[in-house]
Amino acid sequence: MTTAWRRAWRRLLGSPWLFAGPAVAAAVLFVWLPMAATLGLSFFDWSLLRQEATWRGLDHYRGTLANPDFHLALVNTGIYLLALLPLQVGAPLVLAFALMRVKAKATGRVYRTVLFAPSVLSFPVAAVVWLWLFNPTVGFLNTATGMVGLPPQRWLSDPDLAIWSVIAVAFWKSFGLNLLIFLAALANVPSDLIEAARIDGASAWRRSLDIELPLISPALFFAVVTTFIVVLDEIVGAVDVLTEGGPYRTSSNLLYFLYERGFRHFQFGEAAAVAVLIAAIVAGVTWAQFHFGERHVHYD
Amino acid sequence: MSRTVSRRRFTLAAAALAAPIVLPRTSLGNDVKVDLVHLFSGAEHPIQKVMKAFNDKGTGVTVVSRQDGTTYETITQKAMASIAAGRGPAMMTTGWKLGDFARKTLGAQDFRQIFGADRTEALLARFRPQVRPLAAIGGVPIGLPWSMSTPVLYINQSLWTQAGLDPTAAPKTVDELYPMVRQLQEKTGKQGLCYEVNEWLPQAFIQNAGGDVIDGDGKPVMDSAAAVKGVEAFVQPRRDNLWRVMTIPEMVAAYQAGAIGVMASSSARQSVVRQAAKFDLRLIQMPGLAGLPRRMNSGGNFLAVYSKVKEQQDGAYKFMEFIASKEGFETWLETGYLNVTTNDIPVRPGNEAAQAQMEGGLTSETIWPGARGLEALTVHIDWITKIVNGAVSVPEGLRSDRLAIEKLIAA
Repeated sequence: MTTAWRRAWRRLLGSPWLFAGPAVAAAVLFVWLPMAATLGLSFFDWSLLRQEATWRGLDHYRGTLANPDFHLALVNTGIYLLALLPLQVGAPLVLAFALMRVKAKATGRVYRTVLFAPSVLSFPVAAVVWLWLFNPTVGFLNTATGMVGLPPQRWLSDPDLAIWSVIAVAFWKSFGLNLLIFLAALANVPSDLIEAARIDGASAWRRSLDIELPLISPALFFAVVTTFIVVLDEIVGAVDVLTEGGPYRTSSNLLYFLYERGFRHFQFGEAAAVAVLIAAIVAGVTWAQFHFGERHVHYD
Repeated sequence: MSRTVSRRRFTLAAAALAAPIVLPRTSLGNDVKVDLVHLFSGAEHPIQKVMKAFNDKGTGVTVVSRQDGTTYETITQKAMASIAAGRGPAMMTTGWKLGDFARKTLGAQDFRQIFGADRTEALLARFRPQVRPLAAIGGVPIGLPWSMSTPVLYINQSLWTQAGLDPTAAPKTVDELYPMVRQLQEKTGKQGLCYEVNEWLPQAFIQNAGGDVIDGDGKPVMDSAAAVKGVEAFVQPRRDNLWRVMTIPEMVAAYQAGAIGVMASSSARQSVVRQAAKFDLRLIQMPGLAGLPRRMNSGGNFLAVYSKVKEQQDGAYKFMEFIASKEGFETWLETGYLNVTTNDIPVRPGNEAAQAQMEGGLTSETIWPGARGLEALTVHIDWITKIVNGAVSVPEGLRSDRLAIEKLIAA
């Protein structure tokens, strides 16, 4: 090896690109390039099987924004978020505080396992159980509600109920992850701070609210941001398995709308335009979350 | 004791071990491999039996099973991706309703071009004349019309007799059926009836009322007076509280559990329904509308060839010849599909009603035309669902349906 080569090799070894390079290459290859391709595709009519693409300009964006099914998917996405965000963050938070107060270690472990178990199940497996529970004729839910004199419901085929049934399943399925995050964060709260507050006469409620909650605020913020994205994304599995977006799109959401455009109707240009719109919405909301939410986070 | 292995030997040994993984499978055997993409689950499904029986004959062609999903749409999606990647299926079970898409977009091959006119004629001659046009899109034969089903009524005979109904009664019209269903519901306390909410069953009602969903020129006509009459008859039991609307999987599960008296569904669902039903089950023909000629529809799939490789096309032909034979088709009929061949095969128990319905003449399933045909299908199902749920009146719903579909077909 010549001296010049040796020098270049040494320079490379000392360069941060040696370490960052593979990650950057993967990001470019699997994230940025597909994103750029999607943006480009959104201006064309294109099929996987056709070599040529037809320029459509902003037609797909205009068509999507004027499509009543897109409006419905947008509204439904709002409903999913408004219902699931507080549930997916609030319920695990309360449960995490409660579980931290369970004195017996074995009991605590059992609770944690039971509560986290749904998160490791795949949606198709969980759906088999839920489809039975929801069955309007032989399902457990209608049998149970019937016992207290309530009329039977069509949980998945009633246009007013279907979305709430999907929300219930999505909540049951996904809240375990945030529970785990909050439990880990609470376990890291310095015990001397809690002890000092106790000696000063602070009640359990005040200790939770004024000491533990601020100290786990980074975890809380992380959970809010990721849950927003997860709710958008993960709900597709529940929608697909339980209702396929029906009845008449009343339980669909933006990502399911995108999936249908692309992979049921094979309108890839339109699907790309929908993807760009969704990305813009997610980016906008995430920016707002950081802009308005992060000021309440205590990293120290 | 240590033994030194030379670099050369090590490389040769490694290459020998890696060869079966790296080399394409086709180069290892002499047989031509022809993959068949389908949607049928289970190792015991008749499709596996048919493939095994063919492969055991040692014709020099091996048909390889590729279950790529459980719906026609899913396997079509995957086929599209694999065709784009240059590894498309050699053969695929293609839903009737996707015929136009298969021909124009997926590139289903014209049998006459790949097999020659005479061989195509010889192959299709084994199928009944009335089914042969079903797998010809725009007059071009692109498939083997091997899987045909038709809507029938599944009667829970235990509930039926418990309600005091004649155990052999087979209502010819819905006007005869609905009072029987009411009696069953009142006497047993179980749900009387359940219809599938999709595009297929309402098509039967529309046609039996003298209408059409899409006419011969590809124009949507589902809001004609006759079609409105048909859909009114379809939704009547929902209005009369004889039918609690539910999804198809829910309906099948409830029926199998013995909670529904009468279910209308595909005759091809029979084997699945029978597996879990613990009661006597009787299938009868789908009732028509009083005073109007019967015009029932069919469903199912045809077997299309997508390969552009000559050897695979010839292999597909050999497999299709086997299917069309008495031996092959007898096995295939275990699915619950109908005998659409000219082979003299005794009707399987339970298939009598569907077979008789076919003998009476069946129309094709609606083929959704145009580049946005699949979207039109979804829109149509949505409007039917709105009508069934009472969110819109029948004439208003069908009119909106037609207007929406006209736009999509014109796009």
